[in-house]
Amino acid sequence: MNALVDTGPAVVMPSHLPAAPHARKRERSAYLGMAIFLGTWTMMFAGLFFSYAVVRNDAPTWPPIGEPRLPIGLPALNTLLLLGSSATLAKGLKRLRTGRATAFPGWLAATIVLGVLFLALQIHVWLSVSEGGLHASTGIYGSVFYGLTCFHALHVIAGLVILGAIAVPAFAGRNLTARYNLVRLSAMFWHFVDVVWVVMFVTVYVL
Amino acid sequence: MKRHCSALAPLVSASCLLLAGRAHAATGKDWGRPTDISLDGWRSDQLFNITTVSVTILFLIMCGIILWALAKHRAGSHAHYEHGIGRSHLLFTAVVSSIIFFGVDGTLLVNAFEDIHAAYWNYPTAAENPLTVEVMAQQWAWAIRYPGPDGKFNTADDIVTLNDLHVPVNKPVYIKLRSKDVIHSFYLPNFRVKRDAMPGTTTDMWFQATETGAAEIGCAQHCGVNHYKMRGVLTIQSQADYDTWYKAAVADARLRNDMSDKESQWGWDWESK
Amino acid sequence: MSTHDEAHDSHGGGEHEEQHIHPEPTSFIRKYVFSTDHKVIAKQFIWLGLCWLAIGGTMAMMIRWQLANPGKPFPILGGLVFGASGGVVSPASYTSLFTMHGTIMIFFAITPIMIGGFGNFCIPLMIGARDMIFPLLNALSFWFMVLSSCVLVGSFFVPMGAAAAGWTNYPPLSVNIGTPGLGQTMWVLGIFLAGTSTIMGAINYITTVIRLRAPGMGYFKMPLTVWGLWLTAILNALFVPVLGSALILQFMDRVLGTHFFVAGAFVKGGGDPLLYQHLFWIFGHPEVYILILPAWGVISDLIPFFARKPAYGYKLSVFAMSMVCVLSALVYGHHMFTTSMSPLLGQGFMVLTMIISVPAEILFLNWLHTMWHGAIRTPPPMMFALGVVFVFGLGGLTGLYLATISTDLYLHDTYFVVGHFHLTMAAAVFLGSFASIYFWFPKMFGRQMNMGLAKLHFWLSFIPINVVFCIMLAVGLGGMQRRLYDPSVYTTFQSLQSLNVWISRFAYLLFFGQVFFVYNFVYSIFRGEKASENPWEVGTLEWTIPSPPPHHNYDKIPLVVTGPHEFNNPAVLKATGRDWIAQDVPIPGDLPAESQSA
Repeated sequence: MNALVDTGPAVVMPSHLPAAPHARKRERSAYLGMAIFLGTWTMMFAGLFFSYAVVRNDAPTWPPIGEPRLPIGLPALNTLLLLGSSATLAKGLKRLRTGRATAFPGWLAATIVLGVLFLALQIHVWLSVSEGGLHASTGIYGSVFYGLTCFHALHVIAGLVILGAIAVPAFAGRNLTARYNLVRLSAMFWHFVDVVWVVMFVTVYVL
Repeated sequence: MKRHCSALAPLVSASCLLLAGRAHAATGKDWGRPTDISLDGWRSDQLFNITTVSVTILFLIMCGIILWALAKHRAGSHAHYEHGIGRSHLLFTAVVSSIIFFGVDGTLLVNAFEDIHAAYWNYPTAAENPLTVEVMAQQWAWAIRYPGPDGKFNTADDIVTLNDLHVPVNKPVYIKLRSKDVIHSFYLPNFRVKRDAMPGTTTDMWFQATETGAAEIGCAQHCGVNHYKMRGVLTIQSQADYDTWYKAAVADARLRNDMSDKESQWGWDWESK
Repeated sequence: MSTHDEAHDSHGGGEHEEQHIHPEPTSFIRKYVFSTDHKVIAKQFIWLGLCWLAIGGTMAMMIRWQLANPGKPFPILGGLVFGASGGVVSPASYTSLFTMHGTIMIFFAITPIMIGGFGNFCIPLMIGARDMIFPLLNALSFWFMVLSSCVLVGSFFVPMGAAAAGWTNYPPLSVNIGTPGLGQTMWVLGIFLAGTSTIMGAINYITTVIRLRAPGMGYFKMPLTVWGLWLTAILNALFVPVLGSALILQFMDRVLGTHFFVAGAFVKGGGDPLLYQHLFWIFGHPEVYILILPAWGVISDLIPFFARKPAYGYKLSVFAMSMVCVLSALVYGHHMFTTSMSPLLGQGFMVLTMIISVPAEILFLNWLHTMWHGAIRTPPPMMFALGVVFVFGLGGLTGLYLATISTDLYLHDTYFVVGHFHLTMAAAVFLGSFASIYFWFPKMFGRQMNMGLAKLHFWLSFIPINVVFCIMLAVGLGGMQRRLYDPSVYTTFQSLQSLNVWISRFAYLLFFGQVFFVYNFVYSIFRGEKASENPWEVGTLEWTIPSPPPHHNYDKIPLVVTGPHEFNNPAVLKATGRDWIAQDVPIPGDLPAESQSA
């Protein structure tokens, strides 16, 4: 499998973890690298949220006069969907780790389906809000809404692509226990996207 | 001219006065600075001089050490084997850093705080009856608006000029700045002060001239292709001359102001932010 | 293979991961083009950086030409580059010139040379590793830089030309109000790609230093070069993404019509141009430390190396560099004293900016103390290192004027600032880059550069640099603003014109003086005298292996037992007669290696 991280030769072992200390160390390094990567991405989203806070603080009212409040029902459902997808992915990962690799593809599929549903609902929300007259170019309110949620959606798509890349061998019947670390790194990204969404949901829709 | 200085004050002030005096005599123009014709410009200049003396001393000491080391401790001499981590070494570093920090930085900070509170951000109150002027910066000119005899902006008697600011001498001038397009910066070299004109908000600046004459207004924030040409003229006049100009300008304004032209009514209520 | 139990590593705290020896690639493409070998990638970055340095330098010459000879056609290239205006730099071209000069020098010259180049070359070698921990990511980092360069080059050839809002790129000038045109958007994209490259590199460097230090190399046995580069990587990882967020918002404003930085009418909530400045300088101030930390690290090693004395106050220097990093994002508002930012916030930034000068002072004290009572040799790397101390000392001190609000209200956006940041950033890093090149060239290429030419290069760089930027300080004191196409518009500054002419003359001298370096560099790669394993007689790990190192660097991962600057240790002198010892050689008379702690 193509990977940014060379985890060394695939070691097919009966246990869930590669026994060779070298490979275990490689895993930890990859984990550290991924954590740092997510740290940098956190800083980028922090910049975006900071920007949101600043423009919102500048505005005399929020939403600005004339702008409708954003819907909250569907976005709340979306939050549940995404949280659910993180849960299914975590469950699948656990199966992989405890040696029940055959259960993994099912959980992975559930995750992907929930992720796709999230996107579909998000598109629906955009369309309905747009019909209501709020566009990216109508003002700061639209800018924040579309800017942040679109940028997040790009990351959901990226996450789905990564999960899809894992799904291919998983559904082809390959045992991914040996590639546990790679799956775990991908899961880290997915959970990150989920956490960002929760913050976005609370700050953009609720507050 | 009261100054707050740390323990280094006597040395710094004496050197400062000595050097400044000699420099002024030598160049006649205060080290190439534009003539200071402002009430508070001396703050900037004097603090600059104090800083210069301090940093020159530090820099010369540093160079001295380097040159001495290169001369006396060159290849072939006996090198001391020391890691510099002992208590005395740390103490030495702490003491030297503290002297520099509290001596130099401390002096600068204390004086800057005073300057800020006494002058730069100490805007004239209504009681001091400042001349209030609104400036709308745009690509690439300074649109200037006086409230006129009714004291209100955006009315028919407003004097509106382009790049032409007249002020009376020895009177505070309070300027509010806005921008029509991009960020500009209203810069008065002879007053040692500038303030950005930001679109979407209003910024404040004040100054007071101590001599009559003409000074230039520059733009100090890159604002496009003709940023370099965004020049205005500040004319400082005696009260009598200013009044003459003012009367003529008001008469002219009543003729020229077209209240139905919304574009030209760019002024704003003085109190709003 | 590692001979140590992974769970209990008594040599240098923490776990050590050891890399396999991979077979060396054989095809030309895998060896020199799409290589994952950090040494090759380092050279690729250095070549890329040097090419951009030449381009950025040429732009500087064009700027200086216009300032000294307003309205005269630029020699030789004028007709080609400024054809539409008869060979003369036009006001529009001028705005692109200073924008791209700054952009290129920061993102495409310094970053690739010091961080991409020397970061890549030095870190694995100096910590005793075989390569970076993520070699493929490393290669990707370089090729993203290439992609970014292509976008930037492309931006010159689109209608309305390249970006023109200053390298600082403030909106609303940098959004469609001020600079419509594809070139400006391409700039945003290009910088985003460059930032991505930097972040990839940062992830690599940080993880590599944490995970791949040789057994025995605790953090406080690392050379200070590695410390400088590691802290740089941490700053990069933290703050380049913030620039990323600013660029994303700006891209959206330009392309999707959003209003993040576009100020609305005064009644409706609009965007905030000042927001960009906050975002930009939260990145921008750490960025200047990102640019200088590698040079600080390098000279913190070179000075002990050539003074033949241990680095004075090693741990304190590490602490000082770390403190600078921590404070770096807290001082950024000193770029914004003249804006609508609240005066209270401004005063806070002023105090913090003063405080950040303390760790820098400590670094200086340690350098000077290292030299004191040393046995100082002054080959060209040391000359350049001392040059860095000189210009950074000068430049850093000029920062005091700008940190103080009273003086900054006058000096902001004048040539005083230009002089200050060129001394601290350009001059110091420029000289630091050459110190690094002259020092590591033997290890990189297995050959020596000509030291006579190097000395000539030094003087032809050092003297003009100081003249150019010190006179700029004077021009700034005279009040002349920066980014002015033609200062003669202002009668106030006419007396400064002779200074401008002299700056330009010395700038030309600086530019042409580099020809001695270029010739020396290129010639020596092919025809230079063969270099020995350790021509400088220093103890860091890279000098214990052949020049150039084999593909896998170390046949056997070294076991580190000594610090990086053990010079003139009496026990070593007595036992070996040499004044230096390698990091993997026990000091005679010391306890055996196994019982040494980090």
